[in-house]
Amino acid sequence: MTALALARDIQPRAPLSLPAMPARPEFPDAAGDLAQDVAGSLHVLTCGSVDDGKSTLIGRLLWDTAGLHADQRETLQRSPKTAAGTPDFSRLVDGLAAEREQGITIDIAWRYLDTPARRLVIIDSPGHEQYTRNMATGASHADVAILLVDARGGVKEQTRRHAAILDLIGVRRVVLAVNKMDLVAWSQARFNEIRTEFEKLADRFGFDDAVAIPVSAVLGDNVARRSLAMPWYDGPPLLDHLSRIPARGATPGGAFRFPVQLVVRAGQDFRGLAGTISSGEIGVGDEVMEPVGGRRARVARIVTMGRDLASARQGQAVVLELDADIDISRGAVLASPGLAPPVTRRLDARLVWLSDERFGADRGYLLRTATDLIAIASIDIGAHLDLEALAERPASTCGANDIAVARITLGRQAAVDLFSDQRETGSFMLIDPISGASVAGGVVTAAHAPETRLGRNAFRLTRDLLARGIGADLPPDRASEPELRRRANEVAILLREAGVAVEIEDTWGRAGLDAATAWLALMGLLSFGFVGAVLWGLV
Amino acid sequence: MTAPLTHLDLLEAESIHIFREAAAQFRKPVLLYSIGKDSTVLLHLARKAFYPAKPPFPLLHVDTTWKFRDMLAFRDRTVRDLGLELIVHVNEEGRARGINPIDFSPSVYTDVMKTQGLRQALDKHGFDAAFGGARRDEEASRAKERVFSFRSEGHRWDPRRQRPEMWRLLNGRLGPGETARIFPLSNWTEKDVWRYIARESLDVVPLYFAADRPTLERGGSLLVRDDERMPVRTGESLRLRHVRFRTLGCWPLTAAIESDASDLDSVVAETLAARVSERQGRLIDHDEAGAMERKKQEGYF
Repeated sequence: MTALALARDIQPRAPLSLPAMPARPEFPDAAGDLAQDVAGSLHVLTCGSVDDGKSTLIGRLLWDTAGLHADQRETLQRSPKTAAGTPDFSRLVDGLAAEREQGITIDIAWRYLDTPARRLVIIDSPGHEQYTRNMATGASHADVAILLVDARGGVKEQTRRHAAILDLIGVRRVVLAVNKMDLVAWSQARFNEIRTEFEKLADRFGFDDAVAIPVSAVLGDNVARRSLAMPWYDGPPLLDHLSRIPARGATPGGAFRFPVQLVVRAGQDFRGLAGTISSGEIGVGDEVMEPVGGRRARVARIVTMGRDLASARQGQAVVLELDADIDISRGAVLASPGLAPPVTRRLDARLVWLSDERFGADRGYLLRTATDLIAIASIDIGAHLDLEALAERPASTCGANDIAVARITLGRQAAVDLFSDQRETGSFMLIDPISGASVAGGVVTAAHAPETRLGRNAFRLTRDLLARGIGADLPPDRASEPELRRRANEVAILLREAGVAVEIEDTWGRAGLDAATAWLALMGLLSFGFVGAVLWGLV
Repeated sequence: MTAPLTHLDLLEAESIHIFREAAAQFRKPVLLYSIGKDSTVLLHLARKAFYPAKPPFPLLHVDTTWKFRDMLAFRDRTVRDLGLELIVHVNEEGRARGINPIDFSPSVYTDVMKTQGLRQALDKHGFDAAFGGARRDEEASRAKERVFSFRSEGHRWDPRRQRPEMWRLLNGRLGPGETARIFPLSNWTEKDVWRYIARESLDVVPLYFAADRPTLERGGSLLVRDDERMPVRTGESLRLRHVRFRTLGCWPLTAAIESDASDLDSVVAETLAARVSERQGRLIDHDEAGAMERKKQEGYF
């Protein structure tokens, strides 16, 4: 067998129907499937309270699915046992020394385990209430979330908060793992009670998929193997359920989006746009447009090392060569004409505040979108989202773990999607300009009609002003564009800190601006002509 | 219609995306090239990320002066064949003080020749970001590592100052005195690395393949004696054994395993069947509990 054949990826299962998985008492050893790559990956977020047994559940998954090496197993066997006399599986999960000492998770940990059907990437997010921000961060990477509750406590305020965060961050598939069933005598009635409550909660958010599974993490029941203690449960064990969810990359959905990361130049002739297709598909010959400036071109080549492609889809990192030499650089989002994102300067958003430092209305925050960095003119906090009442409360500022409803005015126009349409081009982070810290994550909920000017009080940084001043050392070609834009952002930040609202003349929107300027000039000439004529007539 | 992407396709695309984001956001990045299999994959992905141009950064090798000769030969051949720029840095102060892995404890040696050497090199050239091949599956304290990992002044890693990363957004804006480490292979596992090497037909250092090599047993580990600097102690004897390496570092600190896996197919097969974790062969990690975490805080990669 050649190396290539040995390592050849096998295709992910078709996601059209959910294949029936036979209940499997034990998984085969990892050695059982040498030649095959995993069929696809799934990112799984685990969330629950400190005492719900989350680390134990993850440790149990690792233990039961050959996700561990012999030395790791031996270390665990030698460690102190739990009250139930089983190995303390949570020790497999708690990574940092500080965390072992505190006994609570202080950060997000990533675990990788291969089951016959899937590479599972387990994202472990802390359950403590103070760590809403960490859970939101973890959720942004997840395809599915496991909500863990203690069968004795059932669905709590915390569970509601978690469901609300999942909804906000865009996790559409949820599993409720009802843990510690052994401590409620494997009671079907208790499970049904909790399931009913969970279904009410799930209905409220309209998740695509919400399933409750009774488990005992410490004993392994319905985790990787079917529980013999709960014959009344006829659904799949947790791991089987996860194996039926479509893998990443299986289906490209949505309209084409291509946030441009870099311009790649090679030799005299080659100029390509490097990026990752964040949504949809594109083929050679297709027309694309840059929404802010409105320029269009067709895809001439889709370049990757080794070979050119005829088409490419969501998730692929490629270089696009266009048939026309239009002025596009990092930060632009290419789209299909007719299906392009809105261009706006004002947007409504929900923010998860991540930083310990509170929101400051006069900080010159920067907005990091997929590949752009935009100076912000102003942020107005209007309300907080009360995760327990699931209602908005008026507020004007926010701090760590708050979820705020905000209106953001950008220093210049940008193409921004609604998060409900596009996950990657509808989300952003707020950056503190001085420390560089990521202070908040956000999702766009509305984009308002574009306005060409912010108002008479805003200071306008024109291209001309920039090019003659702080950009005077840059060669006057478009290779200088990213650096000029970077400097414009920095000037805007300084002015913002001094209390001046700033508007940056659009750099890619030059075509549109030029037209507007020409029109203004024409109006000027006309009015001058009119005045002149009147004067002439008077004379 | 395009075919669905495989698991390796998605990993590859994610790494390329990370390389491009870092190249766009940092002023002067460098790729930390340590010659092993992870570096081989890292370099290959860097080339893919900027094709048809060359990667817009040099490679940096922090040479401890105790690398296998096979590794150095492989390094020089790779750089020459690909036409890339390589910076080799040795901690000359450490060399002058005679710091070596035979007479000094692994932690002292590693700190001086690797950690301090790396810091010197980054400072000397003013690099503000360094790509490394670390993976989250390697070791418990790495499981929480970010893709863009920040270092305070003095290259210290403070777990409480690491930035949250959401969606695919990567924030490379540096605070005062900060530099960054970039880990494009964060989500790869050891199996992925080998499968990818096989899929892309990449060359790796021959030490990964089993061959007859002069070995001695010390402290329960099988060490390959690469040159005369390691004295054979009384009671020890040099013996030819059929061995290979699962991970490569400084030769007196890297244990070999007895194996018949002499080509890529059998290495992949052996890796997938392995029952012992990869870093078992790294003697520096076993120095004390929480060793890696402490090393990281001090600026180890």
